[in-house]
Amino acid sequence: LLSQDQLEAEERSRVQRSQSTALVSTRREPPPYGFRKSWVPRALEDFGDGGAFPEIHVAQFPLEMGRKKRTSNALAVQVDAEGKIKYDAIARQGQSKDKVIFSKYTDMLPKEVLNEDDPELQKPDEEAVNELTEKTRAALEKQVSQKIAAAMPVRAADKLAPAQYIRYTPSQQGLAFNSGAKQRVIRMVEMQKDAMEPPRFKINKKIPRGPPSPPAPVMHSPSRKMTVKEQQEWKIPPCISNWKNAKGYTIPLDKRLAADGRGLQTVHINENFAKLAEALYIADRKAREAVEMRAQVEKKMAQKEKEKKEEKLRELAKMARDRRAGIKAHGDKGGEDTEVRERDEIRHERRKERQHDRNISRAAPDKRSKLQRDQDRDISELIALGQPNPRTSSEAQYDQRLFNQNKGMDSGFAGGEDEIYNVYDQPFRGGRDMAQNIYRPSKNADKDMYGDDLDTLMQSSRFVPDREFSGADHGPRRDGPVQFEEDPFGLDKFLEEAKQHGGSKRASTSGRSKDYDHEKKRRKE
Amino acid sequence: MFVLLQDVQKHSVHTLVFRSLKRTHDMFVSDHAKAVALDDQSYKMKMAVKMRAEYKPVLHMPVLKEGRERGPLHASDPYGQLGYPLPGALPHYLVTGTHPYPSAPGVALTAETQMQKMPFLNSGLLPRKAPTMPKPQWHPPWKLYRVISGHLGWVRSIAVEPGNQWFVTGSADRTIKIWDLASGKLKLSLTGHISTVRGVAVSTRSPYLFSCGEDKQVKCWDLEYNKVIRHYHGHLSAVYDLDLHPTIDVLVTCSRDATARVWDIRSKANVHTLSGHTNTVATVKCQSAEPQVVTGSHDTTIRLWDLVAGKTRATLTNHKKSVRALVLHPRQYTFASGSPDNIKQWKCPDGNFIQNLSGHNAIINTLAVNSDGVLVSGADNGTIHMWDWRTGYNFQRIHAAVQPGSLDSESGIFACVFDQSESRLITAEADKTIKVYKEDDTATEESHPVNWKPEILKRKRF
Repeated sequence: LLSQDQLEAEERSRVQRSQSTALVSTRREPPPYGFRKSWVPRALEDFGDGGAFPEIHVAQFPLEMGRKKRTSNALAVQVDAEGKIKYDAIARQGQSKDKVIFSKYTDMLPKEVLNEDDPELQKPDEEAVNELTEKTRAALEKQVSQKIAAAMPVRAADKLAPAQYIRYTPSQQGLAFNSGAKQRVIRMVEMQKDAMEPPRFKINKKIPRGPPSPPAPVMHSPSRKMTVKEQQEWKIPPCISNWKNAKGYTIPLDKRLAADGRGLQTVHINENFAKLAEALYIADRKAREAVEMRAQVEKKMAQKEKEKKEEKLRELAKMARDRRAGIKAHGDKGGEDTEVRERDEIRHERRKERQHDRNISRAAPDKRSKLQRDQDRDISELIALGQPNPRTSSEAQYDQRLFNQNKGMDSGFAGGEDEIYNVYDQPFRGGRDMAQNIYRPSKNADKDMYGDDLDTLMQSSRFVPDREFSGADHGPRRDGPVQFEEDPFGLDKFLEEAKQHGGSKRASTSGRSKDYDHEKKRRKE
Repeated sequence: MFVLLQDVQKHSVHTLVFRSLKRTHDMFVSDHAKAVALDDQSYKMKMAVKMRAEYKPVLHMPVLKEGRERGPLHASDPYGQLGYPLPGALPHYLVTGTHPYPSAPGVALTAETQMQKMPFLNSGLLPRKAPTMPKPQWHPPWKLYRVISGHLGWVRSIAVEPGNQWFVTGSADRTIKIWDLASGKLKLSLTGHISTVRGVAVSTRSPYLFSCGEDKQVKCWDLEYNKVIRHYHGHLSAVYDLDLHPTIDVLVTCSRDATARVWDIRSKANVHTLSGHTNTVATVKCQSAEPQVVTGSHDTTIRLWDLVAGKTRATLTNHKKSVRALVLHPRQYTFASGSPDNIKQWKCPDGNFIQNLSGHNAIINTLAVNSDGVLVSGADNGTIHMWDWRTGYNFQRIHAAVQPGSLDSESGIFACVFDQSESRLITAEADKTIKVYKEDDTATEESHPVNWKPEILKRKRF
């Protein structure tokens, strides 16, 4: 039951007693177990090489373990040789003391302009440079050779360095250690490397890169802030290609053209275009006028010709009429004449029309006759033209939709089918009505008049003029119903002359009527 | 001078010493309390000698700005050195002699012993010097005298042969052409690259030509056979620039993959991969003194590298925009870097900032420097600015016209070099021509005067 002080005093005396000259570790050993009653470990050394003492009821932190440390990465404020605070300690955290780091404001300031041959600005002298070169070359050689050796195949085993001998004086001394000896001699030999050993470690693993070296302090003022105006100046409109549209965006037309810049250009048209157009217009008008005038003139000419011809014809006709009138007896055959004439005219006209149609069909076979055209006409056209109205048929007409009632709603509607046209069940008038309207005489049209066999009747040769009895002589051949004799007295001739002289001197162009003049002509001949 | 009237008597040492003591006593017995009166001339001489002998290295120390502003400007004294004025000139300074009594403030023994006012007004103990702006050296202006066309694409790089007979150009038409320097005629065309040739270099130690391109290839051409003999494989992206070490057989290339690689020429091994940049490394320069490798990058930093370890020595972050051009001064221990904000000069080996050369507000693609101190900066818009290296005075601006047939927007300078005689400047341009400039002989100092308007107080902050 010794107090701490007494224990210390004992220790001191013990030390004094052992008068050894060898190095002894002066360690403060804690008192052995059982003798620790009023002993409290205060310093780190009091723990010796052991831990805390559970029987001593005091908070103990051997090796500083167990203390609540507030870990902060704050650096302690350091002061340099002149007494100024080292503010660049932060910038120099992970690096060696002698690394060149610029962090002061004065590093940014321009220095005074020095003379050219100022010693500060001179390159280091030759020897220093050569020395540096050699050093660098050696280092690089080593690197290169290492790399090449790594790549080259296995060679002979390296000769290892010879053994080294080391004299060692351990710090722990005593009879127990080293069997009482104060020093030891150690023989150090390099371990032999197995030349055939394959590589021991896998180096194909990819690991992420380590953190970079701490960033250097930025030695310039921060960039100027960007104003809104400047930002607007640098705005680039999105690209709208005239060729590609990968996502298939629908882009309004003005944006499509905007990229091209076409809207910005003013279109310059040469004024000669307008002049050309005007000139063409004028020329066209002039040409038309000229053509019109020419046509008019020609029409007038043609008309004049026609009139002339008509005049001539009229005169001829008149002449013929006069001659006829002259030959014929004066009778009031005027009325008959006019009727005959009218009938003739009508006949004439009809013949002409027929001829005309025949000519057309000969000349332009594609051109259909009126009849054919009306046959092929569409119903709307017929209506438009005001062709014969649809005949109300005798039977009552029913709406087709009323039929097929079992079809139900679909009847007539046909389920919405657009292609079917089923509003009407019968055609408008068919083609038969037109055909019905046209008089088409059948073969036996005059059946009720002449009986069935019109052909046989026509070909009967019973009623033949000048049928002679069999065996009779041929009588005088008769050309016409009345056979005239030759002119015995020459009265015709006389009368003609008289007529000719009596009337004006006219060329004797007789009318073309077949019946009379043809006869006359024959008589003359 | 003096005529010896009598022979010098030979006395013993004891006698001589006693005599001298006696004489001293006689001289000073009357008032030895008083300080020795300073003789003007002797004082001047003493100070001059002392300053030169003991304080010569410190004479031209940079003066702090505070000192300059607050302190009064002194007229330069006759020595042209620091302002240690004469005792009578300004009452502010006094070199006090030795007193038997220590000088206490406020206690004046006699009028003569009165200590004058405190010597310095400011805290800085540096002497204030009248800031004399150095006058820039006059350089004759440069003029264009030859245009060489022959390339079918932008001419991206130029290198001149050490014997100054020919120069090489690399172009965007994937060919490398060798031209005769004197006549400008094409000597040889080399094909082999599959994309733009971005950098060419001719070795001074062996008959090799090195070229690098945007196709990640770095080729070594043997100029005796005009064939490719080596490829340096390893870059992951376009290789933008390359440089050869002047004394060691080592090639350094820099690339768009944010690394620079150091290659052993003979074995094609990639000795070091200098990584640390975070964006394209645009330019690299090698020298034999420290720092041996300097790189400039599009992440606006310049890194100085330790070639032995393959690690960054220092990072210079002063630029605000990409650094596309670097140049090392051939005689001085300085280098310059170019960026669209300004061109900065630095001191080796640690990269201490020296000064700014501002005025060329364009993307600077290339820098070149002369032994006469002419710095040329070539920009992406076709302008060339000529600067005096020492003072930063821009003495000429050139904007050459484009080759006929080219658009005006096709003017830009990608590379420029001085030939080995440093009398011809060869530029590689974007209108597919090579332009050669020389100094105008007819110009004189009077015809092209120096119009130097420096800023006395460098108030700009960078």
